[in-house]
Amino acid sequence: MTETAIEAAALGKRFGRRRKRALDGCAFQLPAGRICAVVGPNGAGKSTLLSLAAGLLHPSDGTITVLGQAPAAAREQVAYVAQDKPLHPQLTVADTLRFGRELNQRRWDDRVAERIVAEGDLDPDAKIRTLSGGQRTRVALALALGKRPELLLLDEPMADLDPLARHQLMATLMADAAERGTTVVMSSHVVAELEGACDHLLLLGAGRVRLAGPLDDLLAAHRLVTGRADAGLDPHTVVESRTTGRQLTALVRPEGPLDDTWQSTVPTLEELVLAHLRAPEAPALRLDSVPEAAV
Amino acid sequence: MTTVVTIETSTAVAPSRGPRGLVWVMLRVHRWALWFWVLLVAVGAGALLFVHGPGTDAAWSEYRAMGCDSPEVGQACDYSGPAISRLGLANSLGGLLNFVPLLAAAWAGGALIGRELENGTAQLAWAQSVSPARWLAAKLAVPAALLVAGTTLLTLLHRLAWSSAAPLRSIVPWREWYDDDIFLANGTLATAHALLGLAVGALAGLLLRRALPALAAAAVGLLVLTQALGSLRPYLWPVETLTQKGMYPPYTGMVLDDGALTSTGARVEDPLCINDTKCLADHDIVGFYRDYHPSSHFWPLQLVETGIVLAVVALAVLAAFRLLRRRTGAAV
Repeated sequence: MTETAIEAAALGKRFGRRRKRALDGCAFQLPAGRICAVVGPNGAGKSTLLSLAAGLLHPSDGTITVLGQAPAAAREQVAYVAQDKPLHPQLTVADTLRFGRELNQRRWDDRVAERIVAEGDLDPDAKIRTLSGGQRTRVALALALGKRPELLLLDEPMADLDPLARHQLMATLMADAAERGTTVVMSSHVVAELEGACDHLLLLGAGRVRLAGPLDDLLAAHRLVTGRADAGLDPHTVVESRTTGRQLTALVRPEGPLDDTWQSTVPTLEELVLAHLRAPEAPALRLDSVPEAAV
Repeated sequence: MTTVVTIETSTAVAPSRGPRGLVWVMLRVHRWALWFWVLLVAVGAGALLFVHGPGTDAAWSEYRAMGCDSPEVGQACDYSGPAISRLGLANSLGGLLNFVPLLAAAWAGGALIGRELENGTAQLAWAQSVSPARWLAAKLAVPAALLVAGTTLLTLLHRLAWSSAAPLRSIVPWREWYDDDIFLANGTLATAHALLGLAVGALAGLLLRRALPALAAAAVGLLVLTQALGSLRPYLWPVETLTQKGMYPPYTGMVLDDGALTSTGARVEDPLCINDTKCLADHDIVGFYRDYHPSSHFWPLQLVETGIVLAVVALAVLAAFRLLRRRTGAAV
């Protein structure tokens, strides 16, 4: 059993010479067995990061290791579902599952894959091209879980599912992950969909790591404070602050006990993420136990 | 130990008959291409068998029925008729072999590689327990095996039809062994060119990563390569030279060059004196020469060109693997 599911150091990826880097100097560490949310605005590098971890792309700089090996060597233990859920449109659902069985001969479990397909009332003889977006997502997830991965990489997995299917698939996913100790890395820009499911957070912005660490620790390191606009917040790090009239609301990283003049609460995941998205200049914070300090 | 075995057999899939793994995936995903190829080979083979047997026989009896074989009619006989037209049609269907490289290039660039990289199904395969290199190997090996089998069959049948139509060729204006399409279809080149199409298509698909541009690039690339390689053909084996005093030697085989010879044996341009002896003397013309490949050069030319084409195939395949490796990282 490897202790670390994913470890990245100075990881960078550039598509073409002239374009901006999709990832730039990313460093983080994800312990095995976590359910990790990867959040960030569009174009933050979430998909690139997952593709690199899945061994589908080669990093331009730095390194990424997956389950203690190079991503290409860990291919058998890792499952990946891409954002647009590519499947062969001319294959039937049953043939798509056979595709998984044929290409994962040492790991494949028919029962798991078939159960997920059956829960969606999918006809095994239906061609993939006749399925709706949500149904295709279900087949893509069946393909990923049928592989029995140790690390499951999901890029915007729930985007085109109806709320019921989303709830049900998420429950299946979480139960399966809990039972088998699977590490799950899930990207999303719908924060609400991750709340309650994740215990680890990786927030990306403009190709860099902005927040990384266990969710509880990250939340505990922040306070949502309200008080009078003219009161000072030194020496605390202010992530983001807004003034309405004479009242100021801010998300801060306390550097000691907070003044009594401030009303403070622990932020929710959504408040934490939104404040960081609104303030792209806020300093990065890493609480994932890697010796090198945050960049 | 026993328990381990039981656990493994309970989760492992019962071995099913037929192809497994990537080969199964290849045959299933490209099922229509496979059927199309089977159909094409069947049509080509049928046409060539027709030329070999009933087609040629019917043409002969038609020829005799028109009295063309009687000495009085002889050369004056303007031989044409439904049987010989049918034979011509069947021959051109057999010549489909010449389009196989282009079809292979377009298909490999468009459907085999380009489309899969464009819509992400290639990445879907690599996200299973299959490395990109093994994926590409299967993508190339399975069609290559089918192309080799099909083109070899068609080449053998084309040779058979070609030899059985030989007597007819002496009467009816017919094709020559060195015509591009005949030369290709009668030897190892048909197979080599089909593989060239596959390799060029795969490389175009990997370079462009989109179906339509890759299809177009593969087709254009193959045509350019084929033209370039074809223009080298006459120089791949030493030519033979015929010389004759006073007049041109007979026109035979694949002629590359001809002209006049002076008394010192130097080759000069024919001053077009025809039979004007004074003109010939003025130019010091004593004879004429002709450089050509006799039909006995068929196999040397064929094999040298096949070798060159296969070397280009190997380069394209190597480039494809290197390109894929550079994009996806170390292949395992």
